[in-house]
Formats: sequence, structure tokens, C-alpha cells
Amino acid sequence: MTALEVRDLTKTFHRHRAVDGVSFTLTAGRTVALVGASGSGKSTVARMIARLVRPTSGTISLTSDGAPVPQRAYRDHVQMIFQDPFASLNPFHTVEHHLARPLQLHGRSRDEVPHLLERVSLTPDLARRRPHELSGGQRQRVAIARALAPGAKVIVADEPVSMLDVSIRLGVLKLLDRLQREEDLAVLYITHDLATARHFSDEVLVMHQGRIVERGPSDDVLLRPEDPYTRRLAAAAPNPDTRFRLGGSS
Amino acid sequence: MTKKLTAGLALAGLIVLFGLIGPLLTGDPATIRDIGLTSPGGDHLLGTTITGQDVLAQLTHATRGSLWIGLLVGVMATVLSGVFGIVGAYAGGVVDEVFSLFSNVMLVIPGLPLVIVVAGFVPADQRGTWTISLVLAITGWAAAARVLRAQTLSLRNRDYVAAARVSGEKTWRVICVEILPNLLPILASQFVFAVVLAILSEAGLSFLGLGAADSSTLGTMLYYAQNGFALQREAWWWFVPPGLIIAVFGGALSLINFSIDEIINPELRNKVKRRRDVVATTPVVAPADDAVLTVSDLNVVYRSATPVHAVKDVSLTLRRGEILGLAGESGCGKTTLAYAINRLHRPPAEVTSGSVVFDGADVLALSPEELREFRWVKLSMVFQGAMNSLNPVTPIRAQLQDVLRTHRPSMSSSDREDRCAEVLRLVGVDPARLGSFPHELSGGMRQRVMIAMALLLEPQVMIMDEPTTALDVLVQREILNEIKRLRDELRFAVVFITHDLPLLLELSDSIAVMRDGEVVEYASAEEIYLRPQHPYTRQLLASFPSLTGERGALIR
Amino acid sequence: MGYHLRKVAFYLAALWAAVTLNFVIPRLLPGNPVDILMAKLQQRGGSVDPAARQAYETLLGTGGRESFAVEYLAYLGNLARGDLGVSVSAFPAKVSDVIGDSLPWTVVLVGLATLISFVLGVGLGALVGWKRGTWLDSLVPATTMLSAVPYFWLALILVALLSSGLGWFPLNGGYDVVLDPGWSPEFLGSALYHGTLPALTIVISSVGGWLLGMRNMMVSAMSEDYVLTARAKGLTGSRVMVRYAARNAVLPSVAGFAISLGFVVSGSIVTEQVFSYPGIGSKLLQAVQNNDYALMQGIFLVITIAVLGANLLVDLLYGLIDARTRDRSTVS
Repeated sequence: MTALEVRDLTKTFHRHRAVDGVSFTLTAGRTVALVGASGSGKSTVARMIARLVRPTSGTISLTSDGAPVPQRAYRDHVQMIFQDPFASLNPFHTVEHHLARPLQLHGRSRDEVPHLLERVSLTPDLARRRPHELSGGQRQRVAIARALAPGAKVIVADEPVSMLDVSIRLGVLKLLDRLQREEDLAVLYITHDLATARHFSDEVLVMHQGRIVERGPSDDVLLRPEDPYTRRLAAAAPNPDTRFRLGGSS
Repeated sequence: MTKKLTAGLALAGLIVLFGLIGPLLTGDPATIRDIGLTSPGGDHLLGTTITGQDVLAQLTHATRGSLWIGLLVGVMATVLSGVFGIVGAYAGGVVDEVFSLFSNVMLVIPGLPLVIVVAGFVPADQRGTWTISLVLAITGWAAAARVLRAQTLSLRNRDYVAAARVSGEKTWRVICVEILPNLLPILASQFVFAVVLAILSEAGLSFLGLGAADSSTLGTMLYYAQNGFALQREAWWWFVPPGLIIAVFGGALSLINFSIDEIINPELRNKVKRRRDVVATTPVVAPADDAVLTVSDLNVVYRSATPVHAVKDVSLTLRRGEILGLAGESGCGKTTLAYAINRLHRPPAEVTSGSVVFDGADVLALSPEELREFRWVKLSMVFQGAMNSLNPVTPIRAQLQDVLRTHRPSMSSSDREDRCAEVLRLVGVDPARLGSFPHELSGGMRQRVMIAMALLLEPQVMIMDEPTTALDVLVQREILNEIKRLRDELRFAVVFITHDLPLLLELSDSIAVMRDGEVVEYASAEEIYLRPQHPYTRQLLASFPSLTGERGALIR
Repeated sequence: MGYHLRKVAFYLAALWAAVTLNFVIPRLLPGNPVDILMAKLQQRGGSVDPAARQAYETLLGTGGRESFAVEYLAYLGNLARGDLGVSVSAFPAKVSDVIGDSLPWTVVLVGLATLISFVLGVGLGALVGWKRGTWLDSLVPATTMLSAVPYFWLALILVALLSSGLGWFPLNGGYDVVLDPGWSPEFLGSALYHGTLPALTIVISSVGGWLLGMRNMMVSAMSEDYVLTARAKGLTGSRVMVRYAARNAVLPSVAGFAISLGFVVSGSIVTEQVFSYPGIGSKLLQAVQNNDYALMQGIFLVITIAVLGANLLVDLLYGLIDARTRDRSTVS
């Protein structure tokens, strides 16, 4: 079932085409990975889907017929997780505030805060704390809970683990994966890391200079890339296998 | 609460109390007696004026008057600066352009001459407290608006503001609930500043005879004292106290402002002075033959309120031409260790024991001048953010030549220029770039320039702290290849610090894995990859899924 | 738009705002300045013919006989010809002549004092920031305290102590009145002697602001990576301090010159009053006391133009010392 339809999305900043004719579909219960280097335009796509940046042209709709959606209904349906959990939580407010506001804004009760925290594997007593009292992983889980609060069906995760310590990254990605399956979410996973893109998505879109240069099932695109840019990207990632298994010890 | 804040609040509080309660306890300040210019003492604690009025009574009423004007102007100026600074910056676009232009114009038009002109046109009997306050507020809000605008512009782009908008918050709520609380310290500091400025300006105006006609302030008191030739008649008790009250009140508010500044920017706090830099201990073990750098039992402690043992008993050996990888997560002490090797650590960090032997000499025992001569000649460094490592206001040439000027003073200027061009060519940067400023180069190019700079004096060791973390995968690949090639050509040794274990496995000869200040595992790259011993090493390895590995092993 | 062009455009806008303010103020505020001026003129024996009245009305308003637009155009026309009217307090001198006589005194006094204060404050601030944790830290609260002292109060006490008490400096004036103003060494020496204490008081009261700002920026700059790199490069301490830390830390002080210059000019008006200095500030006060509105307006305009000009100069200089500003304007 189509959860979000992006058609011919284009964004021009000062005559520079940051995003150029991007189209794709997000489906409930599936994760699509959007991979590319910084400056490829992938974050601009995320911000347009979150309605933080207005597209120059193209449509984003919740159904395949491309009908316009009013703001409130759209916000109920589409939520975003930001890259840096140190920046995306307001240092002045408690965890409770960060979760209660979206609940109330979307017609729910703030009593659901403890339940929300449990869904992201945090203990309810965290609600009274402020962001600086939490670890990076805990903060990102709060940010995920905030995105879930309105009952969204589409989650845009913009580099959700790149600012976290390496040993907790997989934990956060696994949480996102579990939520996606349990709650039948449509997830857009934006990343520069090809390995996690392959392991945590069903479909991969490779973005370069504002355009999608290659797309398809994750294994096909990342193990047998056809586009020259995707090939260079796949070859550039550090890979000790080549040194110790295939190439022998140097 | 810091000492400064306590002292500031106490002093300011006392003066406010003096102005509030004082007038109730002293007599009528206007009563004229025939005991003009009596010295302090007896019935008149602060003496009398030329017409025999009690100075203390006048002082209490004048303090009240000055505080009232300060408060009025402070509130009005803060509201004005908030409207023009915060609202404009949040709205953006044309509104911001117009508001910001207006604030800047108000800022460059000199305030006091304008106030004097306005006061000159208003007949004296119509110059009341409110008129004067309004004029002072109108001429005094612009500087604060500029500060607030800059801060709001920065807050507006924070992700938490974007997140609130995605949640569906309305604009006024975003400004009032998400942005405003984070501006409070700055608003408070601007308010305090406006109050001080208003009291001072009002005193100046009154002294010039242009103050409010209907009120008595410290300024009017000084005006009468001056016109009564208080100083010439040596009646210091009449002239000094009003000025002193303003000075003490201003000083107290400055102390409060210092404390607010320190809350906004914790770096400004005066730190404890470093007790000692390092302890040098004679190395116990003789270094291996081909070792160029030997670190033995090094300990670094941050002597803060709760001491942190950042580096614990670390021992490492770097051989000629070797690439040693230092792996660990944020806060594991890997950067502290790297800085301590070159004695770049700053207080409160302190090397408490251990030795760093370079070419047979203990770096920790070098005198400051010897240390300066050691740096870059024997050991150079490449830091994480190349943008921040280069001085933004001078061209690349000046920054490269600085090294040669300092360490090769006899070198001719044309030789210097040639050497700088040569190292740039080595790292694949066009020497024409010597005249460029850092902001004119791409991220990858800047990091290449840093590596070229590190090569200038052909050091034996190069410490690289996350040199590719901020770069794209493709650029990172190019830089890594460059490092490998240069190492093979020039045979320098490298300490490569990163959290990216797969990168180290591919690049380095040996790897030390650090956690909580300790090296938990130290072995060849092959050993670490094929036979990791420590559970933490295994955990780190498992954190990096392989691109080509079996799919689904991580999930389900 | 290029950096320089934008700066010039901004200061032209500010100039227009000041000129317009000067036009609007007498028309919006209560009172009838033209009548007062005509009465004064009569006292001084000036001609009170309709032409003189019309000249003042152009400046201060016709009281509704003419439309604002017509008055505004006539006012701008007079300004463009450099005609600021006739002063009644210095009758029959023209306002422009009164300003021309007094302006050099102020420019030299305020200019020199500001320069000394800036160099001293920035230099000391750099040193205090660099040597943090030493006794130099106590300079910060001490100089800030001096900035919180009412300026004229401090100046009068200094006059009482140093001039009346110890006799080190003259009590007031800009030069010894027995000398003829001119370029003679005696006159210049006398002017210097008379200007020292006023300049000193300006420096004392304004140096704290520069010092504090520079010290705070220095502290921030010292934690920047480029300073760490410079230290790792083995450069001498003084080179790191001057070329790397202070070179960057001074930028906000230069950019914030506008704010400070306003304060200094305001302070100097009071200075001139305290020392009866023959500058433009004491002329402004004299004009206010004598209801010489034409002179008041002329002086306000000239002070504003001088301040705007100085700021424009500093902004253009800023473009030279920070290459980023020139490029930023072309990018965004």
C-alpha cells in the first residue's frame, strides 16, 4: 500500500539545482534507503518531505493519485528523525515536553508518554530529565519516540546514527527496523553508509548531484552496481576483507 | 552560584533597598536650613548642601529616581530590541531585511547628540521622566537588537526548532516556547546593560541641564553640586556620594553580566592555574632498536572538581615507517593521549606519570624552548577539522611559511616559496593555491594542505587525529591512498586516530584499541581482525556491518 | 552586490535617515521654534524681514502653511548648497562657519583619544586573554568598573585633583588664550598641553569596553583548532598570540566599532562641557541653552556625518582584514 508518493521533486537554491527530478514511492512495512555523499541533495529531499523546505516543483502526496494534503493531516501522517540528537532536542525542555507536545497537537493524551518511552526501549522515569542528562543513544531514542507520537505512518530518518558512537549505532538501527515491522511503517532511511543501507533496507536509491543515478533491490544495487558513480562509492568504503582474506597478509 | 554573581546581586540589592526604603527613613530632602555645607556627622550623616539640605535625604530620593528611570528605560529598550531582533530574525525574508536595516541605522546615528537635540526642542517644563525615558529607550535599543538577531538567526536553524515545526507547532509557540527560553540569558544581560546605560545617560543629561524637570535623580543632584561649586569648596560629601552610588550600582550590574556571560560561554570562566605541566620520570625500559617513539605507562588526569583519569598506564611503541592505529569511541582518551605525546594538553589536564621517549630523549623532560624546537621538526600533527585548523584570515602561503620562518630561519625567501610549492605538489594541490584563503578551498583540498604542512620539515612521526572523519567517502579514499603513498615514499611513521575500525584494519600495521583511558588490546592489524581477544574489540568489530557480508545476519 | 557597494549604500541610507530625522524632529515636537528664533534675532539686532523668517521656516517648519513635501524639498535643497542658516547665538556668523571653527578641535581630540583607547584596550585585552589565570585577570573588573563610573563625575574629580590640587594640567580651555591660533610651535604645544587631560579622561572611561570585548574574543579564539595547530607547529608564543589568536579575535572589535564610536562621541560632548573645550560639543550645548535651533540642527547633522564617515572607513578596512566578508556577499 502506497504510504507516500514523491513525483518529479525539484529544488533550486540560487540557480543551483540541489534536487533534480526525484521520484519514488514509500510503502507501508518497507524501508527505502537513500544513499549519497554530502551535498548530493539527500537531506534536502528529507526536509521537503517533512515540509520544512518548499519544493521548487514536483509533488509529495500520501496517495498515488497525487492529491494535495492539508497541513494537519500531513503532520499526523509524516514525521522526521533528525541527524544530531544533541541539536534536535531543546536543551531547555524535559523529555516529557518533547513527547507530550506532539501527542497533544495530534489529539492524544499526554498520559501516553510512558508508553511511548517503552516502545523505544527507554524507562518511563527518563521523562523528567533534560537532554543534557541523557547519553547520545538515549537522546536519539527520545527523538524516535517524538516522531512516533502523532501516530505517523511515514518516518523520514535523516542520517539517524551518523552522530552516535559506533557501538550503539546498530542498536538504534535495529530499533527502527523493529518498529517498522511491528507498526507497519514506511521508512525512508537516508545515509552515506552503504553497508547499513544494504542491511536495513529493502530498496536502495543512489543519489548524486541532485539526481537518482541508480535504484533497485538493496543487494542488486550495492553488490552488483551498474552506474559508475555507485561503483566508485562501493569501492571507496574501507573493507578489511580485501586485505586479509582475498589479498592475504600484506 | 559564583562569587561574582553573589557579590553583584548583594551590592545591587543593597542599592535598590536604599532607594526603596531610604526615602521613608530620612526627612524631607528639600528642607532648607541655615547650616550650608556642614561636614558629615551629627544630625546630618552625610553633611548638608550649600542651602543646608540634608545630603543623605537627597541621596535616597535621587537613588530612587535614577533606579526608576533605569527600570523604565531597561524594560522599554528590551521590548524594542526583542521585537526588532527576535521577530525580524524569525520571520526572515523582507521583514528581517527591513528590521535589520532599521536597527543598524539607529545604531550608527550617535545617541546623545540626538537626545540633546530632542531635549533642546522640548520646552523644559514638558521634559518629564517619561519623556526622557522614552527618548533614552528609543536611542538605546539598537545594539541589543543586533545581538538578539544574530542569536535568533542561529537558534532558528537549530534542529529542535525544525522538529517543533514538524510536530505541527504554531509559529508563535515556536518563538515563545522553543526559542525564547534559550534567549533568556542574553535578554537578561541586555536588560542589565540597558539599565546601566540609562542611569549613566540620564546622569549625563541632567549634568548638562537637560534632564527631567519633574524628578530628582543622582544626575540632578550632581548638577546642583557642580553649580554650587561643591568641589571648589571642598564639599566632597556633596559631590562624591551620588557618583559613587552610580559607579557601585553599575559595577554590581557588570558583575552580574559577567556571570551571565560565563553561563552563556563557559570558556570565559577563569580556570585554576596549572600546577605543573608534566612529570618526567626516567624511562624504565630501554626502547627497542628501531623504535622512533616509545610511550611508557603514561597517565593523564583532568584535575577538575571530579578528577577524570583520561589516560591510564598506556604503553605504545612506534617503529620507523609504521602506521599505528589508535581506535576508540568518543571520550575513550585517544585524543588526550595524542595531545599529551606532544604536550599540547591544556589545564586542567595534567600528565601525572610516565614517559614519552623520542629518539632517546624524554619529551616530557624538555624545557619549553626545547619543546618548541621539537614540535613539527620531529613530530607534526593533522587535526580532524581542516577548516578549523587553518587560520581563516591569512592565505595558505603565510601559514606554510610560518613553519619555515620559525624552524629554518636561515632559509632564503625564494627557497621558502619553493619548498611550500613542493609540498603542495606532493599532496596533489596546485601550487597556485598558495595565495588562496582556507574558505576558498574544498574540504578535501584543505585536508591535503594540512598534510602538506605536516610534511614541510620531513618529520619522523606524524599524528593524525580523525583526519578523514569530516570528509566524504570518495574524498576519504583519495586522502587515505595519498597517506599510504607518502608513507612509502618518505618513510615517516604515523599514529592514526579514528573511531573507524575497518579503516584502521585496512590501513595500519598495528592497532591499539582504547576504552575508558586504557589500551584494552594492542596487536598487529591482522591479529585484531582475525583473532580479536578482548570482548570490547569484538564488540567494536561487530558494530561495522560488512558491505559484502551475509545479509540479514544483523536483523531477524 | 559587492561588499563595498553594499556598505556605501547602507551608509547613504543611514545618512538619509539622519537628515530626515533632523527635518522631522522640530516639526513633531511641541513649541514654536521659529517665533523664538525671530525674537532672539531681534534682540541681537539682526534684520527680521520676511526673508530671514522664511529661511528659518525652511529649517524648522512653517507651522502648516506649506505641505511637508514642499518644505522637505526646500530643506534638502538648502542642505545640498551647504546652507545651514544663520546662528543667533553667534550672530551674525553662519552656522557652517561656527561649525567649521569648532570641528577641528573635536575631531583631533576625539579621534586621537579613540585611537589610543582602541589600541590600548585591544592590546591589553589580547594580553589579558592570552595570560589567563595570572594577576592580569584583575584588570577586567577594574576597567569595567571605570566604564560604569559617570564620566563627567570622574573627569571633574580628576580636574579637582590634578589641575586644581597638583597644578599638573590647565583647568580648562583648548589653548592658552594669550596665544594666536596658528601653526606656531608654542600654540601647538599649548593645545597639546590643554588636550592631554580631556583625552586621558576619554581613554580611561572607554578603554574598559575594548578590553573586555577583546579579552572575551581572545579566550574564544584560543580554544580554536587553528591556535592549537599553531602551537603544535612549534611557533613562538608571541607569534601564535599575535598572528593567530589576536588576529582573529580583533575582528569583532573592529566590526563593533560603530557601537563604540557612538558612545565615545556622546562622551566627548560631556568632556567638552567639563573642560570648556572649544569643540563642537560645547557649541551644541551652547546652542541648546540659547535656543539656537539652526546651530543645534547643523551640529547634529555634522556629528552624524562624521560618525557615519568614520564607520564607513572602518567597515571598508574590515573588508581588507577579513577576506571572508568580501566573498560571502557574492555567494549569498
